[in-house]
Amino acid sequence: MSELYVVFKVEDGEYVLPASDVLHMESFAGATKVPGTQSYVAGLIHIRGRVVPVVDLRLRFGLPRIEPTLDSRVIVVQSGERTVGLLVDSAREIMKIAPEGLSAPPSWMGGESAGFVKSVAHVERRPGEKRLVMLVNFSKIIGQEGIYVDERNV
Amino acid sequence: MTGSEKEVNGRTSGGRGRVTEILVVDDSKVMREMIVACLRVIEAFTFTHAASGLEAIEKLALKDFDLVVLDLNMPDIGGFEVIEFIRGQDKLKRLPILVVTTRGDEGSRSRALGAGASQFMTKPFTPDAILANVQSMLRQDAAGFHE
Amino acid sequence: MSSAFDASEFLAGYLVEAEEHLSASTMNLLAVEGSLRKGENNPRAVRELFRSLHTIKGLSAMVGVEPIVDIAHAMETVLRQADRAAGALSAKAVEALLAGLRAIGERVRALSTNAPVAPAPPHLLDALAALEITKNEVPQAVELDLEPAVLGKLSATEKAQIIQGAEGGRRALRVDFVPSPARAAEGMTITTVRERIGTFAEIVKVVPLSIPMSDAAPGGLAFALLVLTDVPDEELAAAVGTTPELVRRVLHPRPEGGADPLDEPSSAEEDVGETEGRRRGVVRVDVARLDDALERLSALVITRFRLARAVDALAAQGVAVGELGDIVKSYGRQVRDLRGAIMRARMVPVAELLERVPLIVRGLSRTTKKPVRVAIDAGKAELDKAVAERIFPAIVHLLRNAVDHAIEPPAERRHLGKPEEGLVRVTCFERSTNQLELGIIDDGRGIDREAVARKASRPVPENDAALLDLITQPGLTTLEQATKTSGRGLGMDIVRRAVVEELGGELSLRTTPGVGTTFTLLIPLTITIVDAFSFVCGDQTFVAPVAAIEEVVEVAPAGLVRGPSRHTRFGEVRFMERRGEIVPLVNLASVFSLASGDEPKALVVRRNGTPLAFGIQRMVGQQEVVIRPLEDPLVKVTGVSGSTDLGDGRPTLVLDLVALSGALSQNRTEVPV
Repeated sequence: MSELYVVFKVEDGEYVLPASDVLHMESFAGATKVPGTQSYVAGLIHIRGRVVPVVDLRLRFGLPRIEPTLDSRVIVVQSGERTVGLLVDSAREIMKIAPEGLSAPPSWMGGESAGFVKSVAHVERRPGEKRLVMLVNFSKIIGQEGIYVDERNV
Repeated sequence: MTGSEKEVNGRTSGGRGRVTEILVVDDSKVMREMIVACLRVIEAFTFTHAASGLEAIEKLALKDFDLVVLDLNMPDIGGFEVIEFIRGQDKLKRLPILVVTTRGDEGSRSRALGAGASQFMTKPFTPDAILANVQSMLRQDAAGFHE
Repeated sequence: MSSAFDASEFLAGYLVEAEEHLSASTMNLLAVEGSLRKGENNPRAVRELFRSLHTIKGLSAMVGVEPIVDIAHAMETVLRQADRAAGALSAKAVEALLAGLRAIGERVRALSTNAPVAPAPPHLLDALAALEITKNEVPQAVELDLEPAVLGKLSATEKAQIIQGAEGGRRALRVDFVPSPARAAEGMTITTVRERIGTFAEIVKVVPLSIPMSDAAPGGLAFALLVLTDVPDEELAAAVGTTPELVRRVLHPRPEGGADPLDEPSSAEEDVGETEGRRRGVVRVDVARLDDALERLSALVITRFRLARAVDALAAQGVAVGELGDIVKSYGRQVRDLRGAIMRARMVPVAELLERVPLIVRGLSRTTKKPVRVAIDAGKAELDKAVAERIFPAIVHLLRNAVDHAIEPPAERRHLGKPEEGLVRVTCFERSTNQLELGIIDDGRGIDREAVARKASRPVPENDAALLDLITQPGLTTLEQATKTSGRGLGMDIVRRAVVEELGGELSLRTTPGVGTTFTLLIPLTITIVDAFSFVCGDQTFVAPVAAIEEVVEVAPAGLVRGPSRHTRFGEVRFMERRGEIVPLVNLASVFSLASGDEPKALVVRRNGTPLAFGIQRMVGQQEVVIRPLEDPLVKVTGVSGSTDLGDGRPTLVLDLVALSGALSQNRTEVPV
């Protein structure tokens, strides 16, 4: 049975997350910075009464920082006890992917983003037009490892 | 001369004229709601609430109103002081003030009118009475012969 | 009567306001009685009483309850005389007034149960009429340092209040607040300013003044506030958005004066909660007193640590400490238990909180002419008083919605095969050690998703959660026609704000067309509310608990001393002198790697006896805030204890400057984490 996925963009890459893990998608109107956190933690936002930390996925993936645009979205994801927002360049569609469509990421996918991609899928948008989407590893993104001062920030 | 500029909607069938901004000042929320319920049959009326004399003075300073419905008994400064203050302001000199109060005694009436209230009525009031008073005050104001 | 208005529609609102004024009046009358025992007048409480009775009288006249009008009128007459006599009331008068409040209370309750309202008891009216108010000697004329425009607005009672306050050792100050649309947009209005100042000062009088129009004063208006307080000028200035130089003294306190405290009758225990309290063996205590007790307790905790260290030191020197170690340990346990006991004293039974629910539902049922039965199952659960106060308006709102909109009129219910009498249930149980689940359940028509969507011009919500999202949007009127009891513009967003945003709880909804609706409120049993300073640093607003800050000081750049090689990763450490003590100063913005700039002010904290000053940009104000802890590891950092909402919809960080100073002193070369 195919599962539903939320599709979002960061730079040129298209990523997906299981729609069942996504609580809300909101436009981004800035966050309250928390001093002393990792540079990729954009800060705190209020969403439907919750105070949620937001991870800037561009920075998390080692990409250059850009000013948020009207397309920028915060995808609020719940995983176990934790609820975290992901700041992405845009998020517009939902797509179905069959489990057999997902395969292990190619070995060339390394560097800064190593480990952030769980698997990849080739999906057909229109007949004859295939594209690659990457299923992100949410727990790695919000991983508890590395809660230390970000040297680059100083 | 804010009053003469606008087309006052004295007839219930209206609605094409400008809105008439009414400031309702009373520390009791239920009382404000009752007053608004009496007056909102006129579509062109829009209402702003103030729960104290000071709040009323602040709102009057920052926004233009066409009429004030004012209680006398309030927590911070009383209605008399509010009237005196309004009448001491150039831009508010002609603002119609309708005092609606429980103090029905002659002393309060003459004190309120003496301080510059345009009309005085006591609680309990009937909807028709307050509506008639408000409409006649607005008509007078529009005609420019208030006072 | 015109169809636009029917007084009975306002009965529910009337009942709520009347009850509020009655309980406020009882408190004020008890305060008068307390003052009386000390031989003092209490002009402020008398004025409040007068106002409450006057409001009750006016409202009762509008809804046509003559007996209450009569009683309130008689009481009001007594209180007007007392107000003119600078608040003088005899013990006999207090007793008669209490009887009056009871008589009004009985009639309000009769009204709410549809029972006939008894006429005003003639002996009570006679007793009130027979009271003679003797004028106390008015304090001698004292020159107040005020211009005639302000002075002329002060009554004798208010002057007496200023003089009495100054004699009691407080400072009588005057500061002006200039309202503007810009300030109003930031939520700074005369109403909020008064609320804020009211938390740390007694406001004697506010006088509006015409001033020349300018950019800063576009309304040509200023409010002169006359207050009695102990707090520094800066706090008062910050509360009105001005500078401390503009805070002026109105009257200088006399060196001696005030009654000898030893002369006071030692009947402090009897001061509170006499009427209602005795009935159930309950004492009503101001939460502030419990907070005070908690604060004193923390001093006890520090003593315990010192004791433990001293014992350790002795033991290290080879002294036989015998039982001392065990004693210190059990002392620690006792302190902890005491803390728990004080926390429990803040708890109120949910059953008590819900006591007023039947009254409210009955009022609503009468107004809407729908028979409604209410069933309450509150169990034994208890709730922190602060939470109770914040959640109650949300409960009332949900009850209103249930009776107004959900329960069908009797004829329709009969037609549907439902019992004519609607049912509203309120249930409550403890979900976990710190969570309470409140249910507000009706057997009405359910919420029509399509109708709501039409009204909001939105797509039809696909499930109950989406429906809840939609109906809690600010400003959405959910029903075909908002009935008058609910009022216009009173949306479900208020409920969401109280439950979710303010208390950090959860709100959920289950609705079945034709069967009914259940709202479930998951709320914390306790919340942390602290009195906090808000301030700006590195262009970001922060708050910090007042209790943690020893002092707010001005930083004089000329007086700063730079030590050798004290550059650290969090900026330069400088030193300032304060009352003979050398205090290190760090720029808070540099510590936080924010754009650092001026630091005209500094917050001084002390940890283990060592002071540290944090330079900041400016103070904003002081207010009570609800702290919500930050639990996610991504944002768990030293120095930030939680977040709060200052009303702008954005989280504001709550700082723990004491912990931050600890982290800085332990590791001077690294940014604290």
